Amino acid sequence: MSLRLQPVQVGTGGSDTESLLVFSDGFLVAVLVQLSDEHEETTGMWFLEAGFSPVDHPVPPTFADLDEAQVWIAQRLER
Amino acid sequence: MPSALNPHATARLVRKLESIATLTDEQRQAIESLPVRTYDLRARQDIVRDGDKPSHCCLILEGWACRYKVLGDGRRQILSFHIASDLPDLQSLHVPTMDHGLGTLTKATVAFIPHESLRDLTLQHPSIGALLWRDTLIDAGIFRAWMVSMGRRSAFEQVAHLFCELYLKLQAVGLAEHYRCPLPITQIDLADTLGLTSVHINRVLKEMRGRSLITLRGHTLVIEAWDELLRIAEFDPTYLQLEHRAA
Repeated sequence: MSLRLQPVQVGTGGSDTESLLVFSDGFLVAVLVQLSDEHEETTGMWFLEAGFSPVDHPVPPTFADLDEAQVWIAQRLER
Repeated sequence: MPSALNPHATARLVRKLESIATLTDEQRQAIESLPVRTYDLRARQDIVRDGDKPSHCCLILEGWACRYKVLGDGRRQILSFHIASDLPDLQSLHVPTMDHGLGTLTKATVAFIPHESLRDLTLQHPSIGALLWRDTLIDAGIFRAWMVSMGRRSAFEQVAHLFCELYLKLQAVGLAEHYRCPLPITQIDLADTLGLTSVHINRVLKEMRGRSLITLRGHTLVIEAWDELLRIAEFDPTYLQLEHRAA
């Protein structure tokens, strides 16, 4: 399963603006936001700002890098 | 876990009950003669575990504790916060198996009261039994308020509501004044309390500071704009029954 990433700016109300739309087979499945330096130890990591259907999660995770985020999203889509 | 018999512990219980009713000398003496034992606990230590069948109830004397539940993959939900004068596992007197855990959040001093002694006390003094029942009913009211928050309030409103509640609870037992109170918990604790993530909590706290609603220094919360915070949270303190609780 291949995911396509598209840069976007998300209005989180703060400084977490650098973001990516994540598409699978043309469908938007997730929005990842890179955490700004206001998040201390998680600065630079990627937060699942939104996930759709199988990618939705009650405790949205934070990923160390984009590879980790894509593996997690792909696993959710395959469930 | 050093322990000691401690007469101050039963005095704390007398003061708590006197805050919601007048006790007779006989009732006061009966409470004061409870065989209470106190323990000094570390931060993040279990007091009672999910599934335990405790033989005593716990009275918090110092520090913070919380009720919590952990799911199979480690996700944690904090169910309530407890401070000095609270009896967070009073239910174990009549419901033998714990359906959640109770643990410290900070270093804490707690007193254990044997079920047998507490049961005898409530049989000999039904009015004390009614006061303890009343305490569990107020506890249930707090659960309802949390359910409304978690189900229907925004992250910002939820944090505002919790801060109002914690301040008033701490103020009622003399642990807060002038809109300043201890908040010895982490952003992860707050997230696990409100069903959010620490990312959300961090954003909310930043916005609250930006709007001059609060300041947070170390483990001290200062509410800079109480009326505005009440308005945002639509906070109605009726459920805390504070006019009868001030200890």
